[in-house]
Amino acid sequence: MRCIYCFLIFFFFMINTSLLFAQSDTLKPSVTVDGEVTKPLKLYAADIAKMKHSTVNVLSRDGKEHSYSGVPVLEILNMAGVTMGKDLHGENLSKYLLVKCADGYEVLFSLAEIDTTFTNRTVVLADSTDGKLLPSDRGPFQLAVPGEKKPARSCFQVTEFIVKFAKE
Amino acid sequence: MRLSSTIVCIGLIITLSAYSLHKTAKPYIIQYPAYFGNRIFVPDDNPETDAGVALGRMLFYENALSANNKISCATCHKQELAFTDEKKFSSGFDDSLQPRNTMSLVNLLWVRNFFWDGRATGLEEQAKTPLTGIHEMGQSLTVSVEKLQQKKFYHPLFKNAFGSDTIGEDMIVKALAQFVRTLVSADSKYDKYLRGEYKPTQSELNGIALFYAAPDPANNIRGADCGHCHGGPKTYSELYQNNGLDSVFTDAGREQITHQSFDEGRFRVVTLRNIALTSPYMHDGRFKTLDEVINHYNEHVLKSSTLSPFLQNKSNIVNGKQLDLNQKEKKDIVAFLNMLTDSSFITNKNFSNPFLN
Ligand code: HEC
Ligand code: HEC
Repeated sequence: MRCIYCFLIFFFFMINTSLLFAQSDTLKPSVTVDGEVTKPLKLYAADIAKMKHSTVNVLSRDGKEHSYSGVPVLEILNMAGVTMGKDLHGENLSKYLLVKCADGYEVLFSLAEIDTTFTNRTVVLADSTDGKLLPSDRGPFQLAVPGEKKPARSCFQVTEFIVKFAKE
Repeated sequence: MRLSSTIVCIGLIITLSAYSLHKTAKPYIIQYPAYFGNRIFVPDDNPETDAGVALGRMLFYENALSANNKISCATCHKQELAFTDEKKFSSGFDDSLQPRNTMSLVNLLWVRNFFWDGRATGLEEQAKTPLTGIHEMGQSLTVSVEKLQQKKFYHPLFKNAFGSDTIGEDMIVKALAQFVRTLVSADSKYDKYLRGEYKPTQSELNGIALFYAAPDPANNIRGADCGHCHGGPKTYSELYQNNGLDSVFTDAGREQITHQSFDEGRFRVVTLRNIALTSPYMHDGRFKTLDEVINHYNEHVLKSSTLSPFLQNKSNIVNGKQLDLNQKEKKDIVAFLNMLTDSSFITNKNFSNPFLN
């Protein structure tokens, strides 16, 4: 089973890259990580695919649960050197993560909501759902936020993570 | 604009200290209702001032800013039409047609990225486009400065606004941006309803409900879910969506800016404030009436790989493929859209041609 999926994913990338070469003015989708980071990141689908995945279940608008597989957002923030885990105290608790999507939609988390030393849930930057790559109107990267009654923060086509201090 | 005392009027907090402004430039307080929220965008280096706004208003109506001295911003953006001009495509100074429909200028204080594709960040950057576009006003800012220098009455106006004896290119766009930010419309029937001063007709009430509700036939909830994109009292949120006008795109819209294929055919969601005054509709002015617009959303949404997920599988009948509103419901939504017309906005003397009165 797993092999077939690997093959399908590989196949998809082949098609994707050939399309990309055909239309040279189209850019590859990516997620950038910026703001209060020590190492700004720009991750492409291939980078995400290489990272360790977790699977979570999210209730969707149709009232059914769907599984999402992707990289825990915590891992991505750690890679970028955001103050998570043992560094998430004091003033760092007034930091937030703003997630921006291609259509201009934006959702916000406090860092503690993402950190597994604070919460049991794992927020994931998913690249597949129910064992298939995300459909084009939601992918390549969708946020999957388990444990919420509304899927409004499980936003589509994520393009940016921005970490900032709330400074009111 | 008169707003009742029942609404909290919130002023712009302007940090003058951070700005080397001419001492006499008095802050201009833009008033708006609390239900619009304070997510407004005024750059630190261009605070609103009385003198700046007054100058911007003159420049907005100034024909000398065009290459043949015949057109101004107001040629395409007419106040009585909520700053549009009834044309599918407006003519530039050289009579060539613009590639997209002229947008209305309403409540732009809450917008970050301008034009149908969001390509201009901030109203200062935006203003340069029509001024210098070779088929719009067709004149470099350098030439505009020279022409304004020759009109002596502008010297004290620029001095009052920016404290400088010489006119600078940046001052022209800054003053225009300051004026455009003051174009707030918040006194429509819908506002009066929100403030508890107007009792809507049954049809208007149905329209409001349909506009905001997502259809849920299993639970007997009828809706059109317009608010998903055009939501909130401003009837605006800054989103880019493909609303199903085409399945093959002659204008790639947002994709031309981001170069991401998922943005093909996406355009900025626009405000519906004063929408009854701003026909024709959409980025290419394809619809003449609001009835045509509703018919589009109800039964002509075209599929494509970038069609908004919020326009898919939305129906008032179980497993339906289209919205399936009835004739009365369509009329009700139009009744609501008509509530968004603000007659005090289009007659407000602060926005009119200063050369005429
Ligand atoms: C020849 C007609 C014409 C003239 C003159 C003109 N505009 Fe426009 N305006 C347009 C069109 C067409 C658009 C939409 C263009 C697009 O999206 O590519 C537009 C869009 C805008 C927008 C964006 C609104 C939004 O919601 O994003 C603003 C602001 C604006 N114009 C202000 C001005 C100002 C200020 C001037 C004078 C300096 C001006 N315009 C002169 C036709 C014109
Ligand atoms: C998926 C998001 C979405 C939904 C839902 C939606 N719209 Fe729109 N609407 C848009 C976008 C995007 C545009 C601009 C499209 C273009 O010009 O290409 C637009 C344009 C319009 C315009 C024309 C504005 C102008 O100035 O030309 C009207 C009127 C309008 N919508 C009304 C409605 C109504 C009524 C509904 C509900 C039946 C609705 N919309 C639902 C996204 C949406």
